[in-house]
Amino acid sequence: MDFKGKDIISINDLTREEIDAILHTVESVRKHPDKRRLCKDRVSAMLFFEPSTRTRTSFEVAMRNLGGQVSGFYDARITSAVKEESLWDTVKIHDGYGFDVMVIRHPLKGAARLAAEASTIPVINAGDGPNQHPTQTLLDLYSILETQGRLDGLTVAMVGDLAYGRTVHSLTEALLKYNNCNLMFISPRDLAMPGHLIDKCRKEGPQRGNTFEEGRRIEDYIAGVDVLYLTRIQKERLEARTALAEKFRSIYRLEAGMLKDAKPNMKVMHPLPRVDEIAPDVDHSPHAYYFQQARNGLFVRETLLALILGAVR
Amino acid sequence: MIDRRVTIAKIQQGIVIDHIPAGKANLIAQVLGLNAMARETGDIIAIGVNFDSPSMQKKDIIKVENLLFTRDMLNVVSLIAPNATIARINNGEVIEKHKVEIPASVGDIVTCPDRFCITNHEEVPGKFIVVERDPVTLRCHYCETEFFGPLIRYKEKT
Repeated sequence: MDFKGKDIISINDLTREEIDAILHTVESVRKHPDKRRLCKDRVSAMLFFEPSTRTRTSFEVAMRNLGGQVSGFYDARITSAVKEESLWDTVKIHDGYGFDVMVIRHPLKGAARLAAEASTIPVINAGDGPNQHPTQTLLDLYSILETQGRLDGLTVAMVGDLAYGRTVHSLTEALLKYNNCNLMFISPRDLAMPGHLIDKCRKEGPQRGNTFEEGRRIEDYIAGVDVLYLTRIQKERLEARTALAEKFRSIYRLEAGMLKDAKPNMKVMHPLPRVDEIAPDVDHSPHAYYFQQARNGLFVRETLLALILGAVR
Repeated sequence: MIDRRVTIAKIQQGIVIDHIPAGKANLIAQVLGLNAMARETGDIIAIGVNFDSPSMQKKDIIKVENLLFTRDMLNVVSLIAPNATIARINNGEVIEKHKVEIPASVGDIVTCPDRFCITNHEEVPGKFIVVERDPVTLRCHYCETEFFGPLIRYKEKT
């Protein structure tokens, strides 16, 4: 499988085989004896039309670890976008500067797909608004694979804001490519998984033996799950109903004491940043995995860059 | 008793789009850009609304004095009128008759209903994949939003 020159825009563009191939390359890139020279003299354009801390830093460090460099902008307010330059033109101009790969983050859905059409070099989507963030999904899958040894036959609970959280939408779509998974969607009714994804689970799930159910209380599920994937309840999404957000945050909050019946292999994951949904005392539990998960973002991004730039196969 | 029979004159050459649900002919004319085409070519277009039909009770019909439409171009009619039929007429004779088929993808005739989609902020020709045939459901090529029914809104072509 050759990823050289490929765009990574959406998890939906990747087959299970392609995802597996990427995930199984991570270990070899991570421990590559000549890692610092894998992408020597290669330069990544960083087009960040909206602020980002983790994604941006991990891409920068990933490129540096491979011996490459990065250049670009991290705030559209200081670019020609304020002069109303179109995304198309901004991408075209960067495309002409001789970069080897382009990493783009943009507040609007579909921006990365459009950038890939404007660009002659490969484009990696680092988040297009509420739509896709495929490197996050890949690092989530990698973290699950790393801790559980497989992606088939797992029970994965997703908790919190399932209505607006793009990570859980993409993770659901990705896990539907695998077999015999049980997906548990645990949220308040106001923040339930969108109807089109429930429909997708209902329609595509049975083809591969995947099942799903919706629930309201974390406590009812902890003992049975392999992965507990928590998300932040975003106050800004509930707009005027901040009191409701506070209430949900107190209900959908994980504390160390709640983990006593968890299976030994169970891991708690979170795309971060967290607010109140994971109490600090969980950090010391052997089930906590969110910081390692974030670190895996670096390894997955190194791997993608190395694959796309043709440094590994 | 008043004889209500009104007909559209036969055409010698061109295309008849028949079995359009009553009231949809103008939308189809808009989506196919018939007005603009007629202005350019001088062709005559006849739009008949609310004709009696044995199978549909009421139907619309469009006759276009032009043979240049390909099957692909006419297949977009199926999004609005899934049971429409096309008859190609040459020298006053029907030379070909077929039903419209739902296409695999749709071009820049629809707007994405998601206001956060890049296509609603930049001049990008829309592209949509037909993911479901009944009801016709489209997925935006850019933002991946899926939509159907009244959310399928056609662009104004003047």
